[in-house]
Amino acid sequence: MSAAGQTHRLAAGGLIDRDNRLSFSFDGKSMDGFAGDTLASALVANGVKLVGRSFKYHRPRGILTAGSEEPNALVELRTGARREPNTRATTIELYDGLVSASQNRWPSLSFDFLSINQLASPIFVAGFYYKTFMWPSALWEKFYEPLIRRAAGLGRAADKSDPDHYEKAWAHCDVLIAGSGPTGLAAALAAGRAGARVILCEEDNRLGGRLLSDGGTIDGIDAAAWVAKAEAELRSMPEVRIMTHTTLTGAFDHGVHAALERVNDHVPVPPEHQPRQRVWRIVARRTVVAAGALERPIVFGGNDMPGVMLSSAVRTYINRYAATPAKRLALFTNNDDGWKTVEAALAAGVTVAGVVDARAEVSAEQRALAAKHGFAVLNGVVDHVEGGKAGVAKIVAALAGGARATLEADGLAVSGGWNPSVGLTSQHRGRPKWRDDIAAFVPDGAPPGMIAAGSANGEFSLAACLMEGHSSGAAAAGDLGFSKSAGNTPVSDEDAAYSLKPVWTVNSKHKAFVDFQNDVTASDIALAAREGFQSVEHLKRYTTLGMATDQGKNSNVQGLAIMAELTGRSIPETGTTIYRPPYVPIAIGALAGHHRDENFHSTRLTPSHHWAAERGAVFVDTGLWKRAQWYPIKREKDWLVSVTREVKAVRSGVGFCDVSTLGKIDVHGPDAGTFLDRVYINTFSNLAVGKARYGIMLREDGIVYDDGTTSRLAEDHYFLTTTTAKAGQVMQHLEFCRQVLFPELDVQLTSVSDQWAQFSIAGPKTRDLLRDIVDPSEDLSNEGFPFMGAREVMLRGGVKARLFRISFSGEMAFEISVPTRFGDALVRNLMIAGEKYGVTPYGTEALGVMRIEKGHVAGPELNGTTTAADLGLGKMMSTKKDFIGRSMAGREALVADDRQVVVGIKPVDKARRLRSGAHIIPKGATPGPETDDGYVTSVCFSPFMDQWIGLGLVKHGRERHGEIAMAHDPVRREDYEVELCNPVFYDPEGGRQRG
Amino acid sequence: MVELSVELSWAETTPLSRIYAAGRQGAKEHDAGLTMAEQTGFELVQVMARRGQWSATDQACKEAYGASAPAKPHAVVAQGALLVWSGPDQFLVLSPRGDGLERARLAFAGMASLSEQSDGRSLLRISGARSRDLLAKVCSLDLHPAVFPQWAAAATSIDHTSVNLWRSTDRDGEAVFHLLVFATFAESLWHTLLDSGAEYGVAIDAPGAWQA
Repeated sequence: MSAAGQTHRLAAGGLIDRDNRLSFSFDGKSMDGFAGDTLASALVANGVKLVGRSFKYHRPRGILTAGSEEPNALVELRTGARREPNTRATTIELYDGLVSASQNRWPSLSFDFLSINQLASPIFVAGFYYKTFMWPSALWEKFYEPLIRRAAGLGRAADKSDPDHYEKAWAHCDVLIAGSGPTGLAAALAAGRAGARVILCEEDNRLGGRLLSDGGTIDGIDAAAWVAKAEAELRSMPEVRIMTHTTLTGAFDHGVHAALERVNDHVPVPPEHQPRQRVWRIVARRTVVAAGALERPIVFGGNDMPGVMLSSAVRTYINRYAATPAKRLALFTNNDDGWKTVEAALAAGVTVAGVVDARAEVSAEQRALAAKHGFAVLNGVVDHVEGGKAGVAKIVAALAGGARATLEADGLAVSGGWNPSVGLTSQHRGRPKWRDDIAAFVPDGAPPGMIAAGSANGEFSLAACLMEGHSSGAAAAGDLGFSKSAGNTPVSDEDAAYSLKPVWTVNSKHKAFVDFQNDVTASDIALAAREGFQSVEHLKRYTTLGMATDQGKNSNVQGLAIMAELTGRSIPETGTTIYRPPYVPIAIGALAGHHRDENFHSTRLTPSHHWAAERGAVFVDTGLWKRAQWYPIKREKDWLVSVTREVKAVRSGVGFCDVSTLGKIDVHGPDAGTFLDRVYINTFSNLAVGKARYGIMLREDGIVYDDGTTSRLAEDHYFLTTTTAKAGQVMQHLEFCRQVLFPELDVQLTSVSDQWAQFSIAGPKTRDLLRDIVDPSEDLSNEGFPFMGAREVMLRGGVKARLFRISFSGEMAFEISVPTRFGDALVRNLMIAGEKYGVTPYGTEALGVMRIEKGHVAGPELNGTTTAADLGLGKMMSTKKDFIGRSMAGREALVADDRQVVVGIKPVDKARRLRSGAHIIPKGATPGPETDDGYVTSVCFSPFMDQWIGLGLVKHGRERHGEIAMAHDPVRREDYEVELCNPVFYDPEGGRQRG
Repeated sequence: MVELSVELSWAETTPLSRIYAAGRQGAKEHDAGLTMAEQTGFELVQVMARRGQWSATDQACKEAYGASAPAKPHAVVAQGALLVWSGPDQFLVLSPRGDGLERARLAFAGMASLSEQSDGRSLLRISGARSRDLLAKVCSLDLHPAVFPQWAAAATSIDHTSVNLWRSTDRDGEAVFHLLVFATFAESLWHTLLDSGAEYGVAIDAPGAWQA
């Protein structure tokens, strides 16, 4: 049934496998194609002309090109979670069962309701949105934006998470070659033979570039045979890597390039364990851009109608895919290259209706060809085409003499000349230069190490491409010292001059498109010129010329030419916009690669993690860490119940918490004490061996940076701890101080964060528990191990550990650390030995509750705006020494007496919940910036106080203990009375932690 | 004196021991392209020369280990230890579990600061025909044999994690890479490596003691 559907498939030829029939569907209609087809060529073979609707006017559109620059034939590919919008039918390799659908149309492709937009096109001109939706601004979010979004769709994203995997990878080479046409193959052969490591990137699924469509003779053999021979030679070289399905998309600093490899887009579902796409970063010492050239359309009336196709694309469909876009073809050209399509069509048995050539003279051979096949050669331009969504039917030409002529044809091939692909060479803000002889921009230099060759450099003949490819490949390798022979230059006798008469636009009364994808017409550019948007950058933003997914590949030069003519400047004077990566669209998923969902970032696990997970702990992400937040026990449904139980258990018995996440740094060397004196506000050089001290570091600007305890383990060895959040930054900061600020000090730093598993054991029964863990010979009494003591101890069973008598909870507490290999065993031993004391593991929430009850500041107070004095720790600032931040901490604003300082806060209504972020204003005052005295930084439900309490930063806070103020919480729409108080709610004398 | 009421067990873990499963992972339809293993039973000491003491440290290294201290990014096979460059004026001494720390203390007393890292790092071994393809997915360095020969070393970032990487003696004609990674990142990196290597098929060896 559907074999008959391939009405436009030629009887013979093409690089397709007629024995491998593939079934696919487009808009629900089932069709057949062959292996080797793209979706576009299969649609062409099935006689499908209408493929999509345009962005703004919803005009019917067909297929314009045969490559990744396609602006019109954008389809939704696949279904369900794998549905991908805006895929270019011209780059989709056909596979059996492929499902595709047109997009941006409603209710159907054939009848699109919003195509009435084109009736209203006089108001949808350039700048329409700016002019129309300016006022009233209140309508933007509610009305205009939803309206525009609905009308201007570009396909629908899948509404489920993408089930496929994407990844990123690095590659390195001496010579990177973009493109495997004649130039790229010649370059790869030369560089590979010379002995260089070569990477050859080819966007297509096979090597050959335009040779696959245009054929020719190289080294006396057919182009196809030469490509096969070249590929075989390249594959025999171990240091040459051929990457098909891979587009070089970006050129960055130091020879780093980006490339997109479509690993498994040509199969319905990637094989298990394989990615769909892979983003490469390729580091190359030299780069040869052999990316070829792109043919450009001509702007005439109805030039966007299905059936109007670039001449080179027609040739590709006929020669490579054996599928003809038309049964009766006409050509509109301004150069000789267009005529090759006529030859291809005739050779394939396609009728040629006629040629409209803008040049006054065509060659004798061309005249003879026309005479032989009985078609007209008209000197002039195409004014407009007639037809409809089913495609072109008539071509109306405006002849040089002023007369009109009509050709009947169901397809029009258009050649406006060729634009070298200058994207990659221009990505470092290079601007291409204009060459009058080919009426095109060519690269004007390139990033260091990069060179353009062949068509990408404006050399269009096969002979020149081969020669330039070979010489640039050989030169790149030679430059790098590879001295083996690059072999012979491949030769071809096809070196005809390229004859072209520039024609950019035809003054037609009909709508003529410059940018197909964004529906920018010739008259839009004229409007921009009239309204003063004459700079190319303004032209681009005002009209959206070149801002679609093809990034102006099909439109920019024509747009510039029209603007140049309107403003009386030359095209190079008008200039080009900036070329930026990526050269072709890349899915965000590919850029994310492996880093999504649970792999979004790497994860750090504490030594007790697996034990905590066995107990059913609830984990919280703190930076990269997963930390136990609380440990629910049976029937506890509410987190607050669990946390309150944990706090009470610690305060009445004993509990422990994994604090291994704190940054731990060994500070070694004879000058370690002096070094610490300079980085901390307080003094450490006088700390006795075997003692710990709490320290605060400032930033250079006098604001508090980090805090923690540091212990002196030996005369020349301190053990410094940081907060969890700042661990990495503090290490960097200290290394900066060591290497740059104080190179004269003999001090060495090492992060030992992962070497030690560290637990805080807290509560009145801490010693009882520890005595079951620590060797009986160790004296843990208040005399034998006083508050702020720190030393190595032996554990029962012969494991060495360190004990620190420090307390964050306000309870009698020790921190114990063992080498990480014993961390899991230690936590299990604590549970076993602690059973008789009711030992309770506690998480970060209970830790937070106890530190708030005790008035200890933490991250919410060390928030990058507070000074030591604000935190109530001003007296720690030594006046006897210099330290980082000291001078700046003395600035007027940092010592002003109305600074917000730490204060305790509790709601007057004991049943009320206090919330972080609530503003503190004087009682009776109207809330506003001028009455805002500060805000609540940390809150918790305090089991000890039996109510919600908090800490806050409040102006004159220390003098306002006992004052009733208002908590104003506009986010939650709450206002309630609070009492400002001493921030130390629990055991302000500190007897418990010293006892 | 408190009576010991319970027997304490000090079972050791390694950074990967709780998730480690020897056997095949990923594609199974062909021979494994990769072999990976956690290496255990080592001692690791960070040696940092004190100011102006690099020459003395180097001399001490020659006397104690029979080899020069690595002054550029490479690893040096020394007597009973591998010396791995880790930065200017510093290197790591990797040795089988035993007296590694004590030996380093005796060797470098007064001229270098030492920090033990035996528990702070996980040591992974990656080998097989596709090992470079796997590492290319997570590591920006060029590991081509001409650029990164046997005993080349680097301090680099792999999957946003600091790693010391070196190439040791080839096995069966294939390169062998060692990765020294912070212990608390080890599980995360291990999963990333398994995911990235899955398409090649991964054979996970039983964890084994590291040997120079």
